[in-house]
Amino acid sequence: MWDVSAGFPRAAISAIVGPNGSGKSTLLKAALGLVPVESGQVMLLGAPLREARRRVAYVPQREDVDWDFPVTVREVVEMGRYPLRGWVRRLRAEDREAVDEALERVGMAALAGRQIGRLSGGQRQRAFIGRALAQQPELLLLDEPFAGIDARTEEAILEVLSGVRDAGGSVILVHHDLTTVRRIADWALLMNVRTVAEGAPDAALTQEALDRAYGAGAGDAIVGASWAG
Amino acid sequence: MGWLIELIPLPYPDAVVALGAALLGLTAGVVGCLAVLAQRSLVGDALAHAALPGIVLAFLFTGAREPETLLAGAACAGLVGAVLMVGIERGSRLPADAAIGVVLSGFFSLGIVLLTHTAHTEGAEQAGLERYLFGQAAGLLERDLRVMAILGAASLLLVAVAFRPLKAMLFDRGFAVASGLGARWLELASTALLVAAIVIGLRMVGAILMVAMLVAPCAAARQVCDRLGPLLVTAGALGAAVGVTGALLSARSDTPAGPVIVLVASAVVAVAVLAAPGRGVAWEARRRLADRRAERGRSVLLDIETAMHAGAPPTERELALMSGRPARDVRRGVGRLVRDGHALVDDGRIRLTAEGAAMAHAALESRALWSAWLDHGALLGLDGREPDPRDVRGSLGDAAADRLVHLSQGDHP
Repeated sequence: MWDVSAGFPRAAISAIVGPNGSGKSTLLKAALGLVPVESGQVMLLGAPLREARRRVAYVPQREDVDWDFPVTVREVVEMGRYPLRGWVRRLRAEDREAVDEALERVGMAALAGRQIGRLSGGQRQRAFIGRALAQQPELLLLDEPFAGIDARTEEAILEVLSGVRDAGGSVILVHHDLTTVRRIADWALLMNVRTVAEGAPDAALTQEALDRAYGAGAGDAIVGASWAG
Repeated sequence: MGWLIELIPLPYPDAVVALGAALLGLTAGVVGCLAVLAQRSLVGDALAHAALPGIVLAFLFTGAREPETLLAGAACAGLVGAVLMVGIERGSRLPADAAIGVVLSGFFSLGIVLLTHTAHTEGAEQAGLERYLFGQAAGLLERDLRVMAILGAASLLLVAVAFRPLKAMLFDRGFAVASGLGARWLELASTALLVAAIVIGLRMVGAILMVAMLVAPCAAARQVCDRLGPLLVTAGALGAAVGVTGALLSARSDTPAGPVIVLVASAVVAVAVLAAPGRGVAWEARRRLADRRAERGRSVLLDIETAMHAGAPPTERELALMSGRPARDVRRGVGRLVRDGHALVDDGRIRLTAEGAAMAHAALESRALWSAWLDHGALLGLDGREPDPRDVRGSLGDAAADRLVHLSQGDHP
């Protein structure tokens, strides 16, 4: 990936879209220091990563995790409080309140005691987002939060994310489904290894920009040409 | 440690062995969970094998015979092996398991070559270097116990202190890194803990089979524990029990300790995998059989209900024809219903008892609820609960179930 430069607006839901292998997830991981960055600069909330880390929450792709792991939903959400308390300090009453509230917001309060392996895909995603909410972040980064999730859960998650935005938080998510971007996001970055277009979804995702990102029509030759161009 | 040994109601040599094995099993059982849950069980194996050349080199350089020095060499070699594995994994395109395989076999071969070469050196026999291959329970000294106890206590303390961040990282490394939990330090600590456990176990179990002490307790405990805290405690206790049993058997029968302990550990894992409630193979099979029988009974019940609605109570033959089910299934289903008091056979004709009729209605309602969920579930709101198709009302709660009924009736007035 090279030459991706993008700014994301605050207090908005922004989507990163692009074809498979275009580096969407990598961009997110690079921003968080999960993959080495060769060159370039990442500013989160107007500060370098080191300073902003505590104010940023990350929701990885669900397959990145071992779901047979022996923890309950509540414990997973509680992990969102660990960075605030460090290795040894005890969790306080306010931590427990934050966990309760996060469980409530993602609708998992009734399942808090369940081992995570006994959850459906949608419930797992809710638990993950609950953990991020428990961090009470100003910026929420999500990697494909709507992949493999039914419409009901998608609606519920979208409602949670809108709530974050309406409270002044910023949300950036990697998304693969072009048909729903306009409904989900206020702002979009279209990329294919490099930035193709950015802006409000209607303005950025023009047919011309999509052709450049995905290749006009189909066929490797055309995709190759648009890369080179 | 003397007082502790006197507390054990065994002859002195056996008491020393038992205590040593317990310390080893406890530490390795707990620490092994860190490797197993991170899906890196074989890292423990590689570290144990990598310890062998360290032992021989420590002997060659210092000429020392006492285990402290030799084990210090083992620890150094283990850490070098760990660094190499991480280096190969990060710096090359080799997958992790290949890196482990290369380091394991390379170090172990080096150890064997050095061992053979050293066999003729003066004092090699007294140092008992061969013992570190398969382990030996007999000949353990009180002094060895002190080293084991200190290392073990320090390891367990570290796990207890860093319990929360370790849990977060084992579950989701990406989260631990992204949220600045100090993932690098946690990984370093995990490796150091593994090396410590291996150092404790080398004399008793030996390099080749040490991995069993790390993996088996966790594997068995995982069958019965669904949370990390209880899992660590159970694995530690199991490890200690396995260690003591195996070491005593070995000391009495004059066989190498490693293989005997590992046989005991394997037996425990086998029992846990087969018979553990909720997760065991046997338990699963029984549940599946019970489910199948219950489903057959329910289907036949509904068939009878439908047939009674249409006309006279059916015979078994009519039921089979009508439902297209094999006659044998129908016979078994009816037999079960009769046994449970849900149906009566009267002159070859089957009718439902009052209880059976109520059951049939409940089953019908449950099916209707399930369709209602599929049609209207989205309208129930934000809650993440999802119904169990076998018991929709129970899993959703009465309030939600009633709303579903309401919604489906509103749809078809």
